[in-house]
Amino acid sequence: MTASATVVRTPRPRSAVPTRPRIGVVKLASCDGCQLTLLDLEDELLAIADRVDIVEFAEATSRRSAGPFDVLLVEGSVSTPDQVEELLRLRAVSHRLITIGACATAGGIQALRNWRDHDEIRAAVYPRPAFIESLAQARPVSDFVAVDGELRGCPIAPDQLRELLTALLTGRRPQLPDEAVCLECKRRGVVCVTVAGSIPCLGPVTRTGCGAICPAYGRGCYGCFGPRESANAASLAAWFERGSPADVARLFAGFTAWSAPFRAAIDTYGGPPGAPVAGEGSTDA
Amino acid sequence: MTDRFLPVAELDTLFDALAADGRRIIGPTVGDGAIVYEELDGAADLPWGRVVESAPGRVRLGDGDPARAFDYGLGVTAWKRFTHPPAVPGARFRREDDSLRVEAAAGSPPRLAFVGVRACEIAALRIQERVMRAGPLGDADHVARRAASLIVAVECARATDTCFCTSMEAGPEVSDGADIAMAEIAGGFLVRSGSAAGASIVEALDLRPATEAETAAAAAQVRAVREAIGDPVAAEGLPDRLRNALDSPRWAAIADRCLACANCTLVCPTCFCTSVAVASDLDGIEGTTERRWDSCFSSGFARVAGDASFRPAVADRYRQWMTHKFATWWDQFGMSGCVGCGRCIAWCPVAIDVREELAAVAPIGLPSGPPPWPASPGSGRAPEIGTTPPPVRAIARIRSFARETADTATIGLAITDPAILAAAPGQFVLVEQPAFAAPPISISRIRPDGLELTIRAAGPATARLIDLPLGTEVAVRGPLGRGWPISTARGRDVVIVAGGIGLAPLRPVLDSILAERPRFGAVRLYLGARSPADRLFVDELSALGGRADLEIAEIVDRAGGDWLGRIGVVTQLFDQAAWDGSRVTAFVCGPERMMRATAAALERLGVARDRTWVTLERNMACGVGTCGHCQLGPFFVCRDGPVFSLAELGDAFMVEGL
Repeated sequence: MTASATVVRTPRPRSAVPTRPRIGVVKLASCDGCQLTLLDLEDELLAIADRVDIVEFAEATSRRSAGPFDVLLVEGSVSTPDQVEELLRLRAVSHRLITIGACATAGGIQALRNWRDHDEIRAAVYPRPAFIESLAQARPVSDFVAVDGELRGCPIAPDQLRELLTALLTGRRPQLPDEAVCLECKRRGVVCVTVAGSIPCLGPVTRTGCGAICPAYGRGCYGCFGPRESANAASLAAWFERGSPADVARLFAGFTAWSAPFRAAIDTYGGPPGAPVAGEGSTDA
Repeated sequence: MTDRFLPVAELDTLFDALAADGRRIIGPTVGDGAIVYEELDGAADLPWGRVVESAPGRVRLGDGDPARAFDYGLGVTAWKRFTHPPAVPGARFRREDDSLRVEAAAGSPPRLAFVGVRACEIAALRIQERVMRAGPLGDADHVARRAASLIVAVECARATDTCFCTSMEAGPEVSDGADIAMAEIAGGFLVRSGSAAGASIVEALDLRPATEAETAAAAAQVRAVREAIGDPVAAEGLPDRLRNALDSPRWAAIADRCLACANCTLVCPTCFCTSVAVASDLDGIEGTTERRWDSCFSSGFARVAGDASFRPAVADRYRQWMTHKFATWWDQFGMSGCVGCGRCIAWCPVAIDVREELAAVAPIGLPSGPPPWPASPGSGRAPEIGTTPPPVRAIARIRSFARETADTATIGLAITDPAILAAAPGQFVLVEQPAFAAPPISISRIRPDGLELTIRAAGPATARLIDLPLGTEVAVRGPLGRGWPISTARGRDVVIVAGGIGLAPLRPVLDSILAERPRFGAVRLYLGARSPADRLFVDELSALGGRADLEIAEIVDRAGGDWLGRIGVVTQLFDQAAWDGSRVTAFVCGPERMMRATAAALERLGVARDRTWVTLERNMACGVGTCGHCQLGPFFVCRDGPVFSLAELGDAFMVEGL
């Protein structure tokens, strides 16, 4: 056979990863804790600031930008009509939009109100609810716009944020495993709190990334990283049912309650604590 | 040698002797409400008077005889934590201008003494050693750690409710495999050495011989354990029963309960599967790898380029785990992968009991059909370490680049290492660069001074490889796997069938045949591609089109009006085949679906199953059969393949989710 034609190429910048990407950090309905994780990367912060151009990050700098962004980190759930509008605008000016934290990826703790009557909740929280514009449900960003990646957790894990940034800059795929917390427990040598202590733990159905912090301190995982792939919440919930049904719903009714597998388990076991019984509340979007 | 007697009050003298031998002592102690194996300072750290009460999904520590230290049962995680640790550093890669420096992690393992090892745990260590010493390379880290560890066994005097070592012929009696074997009886321990290293320690203790009564007490004790356990798993013919149960409805029923949380595999003393994680600096100039425990229950384990998974369903993963432990482990290593320790039962968060599931999936008396794949040798397919030439790592410089299609290119690598240049058609290499996972790439041309690799940008690592400037260095590990048996086609007609990028590993076949063309009969090349723009090696093939001794037929899935050739799937090219299938040796590569259809079509044309060769794409990671990713029934694709005949594969090629 003849040799293939050989073409000499000159090096060229990778179009997907600019040499100094413009990064924005914005928030919707949230506590700001996930954004602050970026500032917690103390050892690498200077190097990161050198390699990326942080053009929007209200928690850290008065410098502001409306875009465009090569990478936009979005924190918080979508809870108001204004946020929907802002989110659509941000999506249009962002090459990659990455959601960070339980609120942005699953609706957050505030999504527990999704089981309750919207007006009742507003009246309970605000003295003059008429001035409050909010959506009937607090929902994850991915319900409204396409999302290019996500960091789970309440708050997100510094190691995973570091991996995301490194992967973006080097052009590799971020290594964010979608497996169970149990793998991390066993690698660390943490004794299973469920088997050895009958402590209910969502670790088997929750995505890893936290380093199995809670079981390492003898308590059950409360699922803040949300469901892992193939999360068999129904089987785990049935096993927990040896307690009372209300307890089962409470276990899943945490920071990622509104994620599909956990929501189904909550509904099967009578809704989150304090929620009206099925049929009375307004859960329609 | 006769048994000796060590009074319980002098147990610390054994610890002292082990320490004097330069060893850290690892043994059972109470931690977090269970028994864990940790470094011990002395006999006082042992779990005196504590016993593990275990049931499916439930483990509790209870109280026993406070004068006894080894009645506890078993620790949570097996000794593999020390011989096959959860995380092991791999290599460090650093770019310096165009060149690449690679340093493999090196270090001498700690000298350890494992105290309190059970019979089932000795069996498990032996099984893992067989796995980790399988050829062509084995696992150097494991071999070194095992060599630096000393086993002090203590025979079980008490059974737990999850034990079934008796059924797996792995206990409870400690027979061999321990450097020092002990039995805890009233007032002290029977002590026996089982190796030279053990003997020198026992001799230093200067113990009196055990009395006949003491020896009899120990024997009675372990006999009682055997009776208490009974024979909970019907092991007779179990591998065959399981091989015939690949379509059992029970798999789906287990998957309703199974969380796929991986606990069973990580507490298992024989499970060995790992994955490699990469880390790097922000610029990707320096990168490191780390090998970590993984599990066939995690979704990423069977994932390949393009995010496809070979075992998407939990039922597939459970079937993989159970059939591997109890059936295909025999195919691979000539032994069971289970020792009956019961950890997978005790530590399953939802109490799935493998003893029950085995009986349900593969009951005795299940009508058995023919086995799904040909029988393996009695000692298993895995060769012993060192019986075949080991792959090497070499630095290679990118010296040529040719774009083939929108997402595929061929890079030429300059290589001087003769071990890699000795690669055969059908073999592959792992291509390493800082900050990226190392993808397995089939060799698409073997030259006297280098290799060509035809790479499709299926993910970031492959995209980067075909985007590196000329002159850049990468590291290449290989040659890996078993290639095409081209010489068996001499004197016969040859049919080569390629789908898409499947032509890449077949190009060296054509090179070899054309290099000695008169030794073969008719040679026919059937090529399929998604579209005309997705055809590979177009210029080369058109240059070959003029040869009278080579027939080339092409077809594409879809095309515009300027394509004058055929449209359809590659098997349609056989419509007008006027050849005698019995004279043909076939070499086939493409997507698995295309290969299955081609295999069926070739069979209809009379091509023998043992003369139809395919090459499989699996999640090949380590390349030497020790990470577990590419397992397919009785095979590790990276080592036993990737080239197989249809006859070798049997149903392993046809069962979905295997």
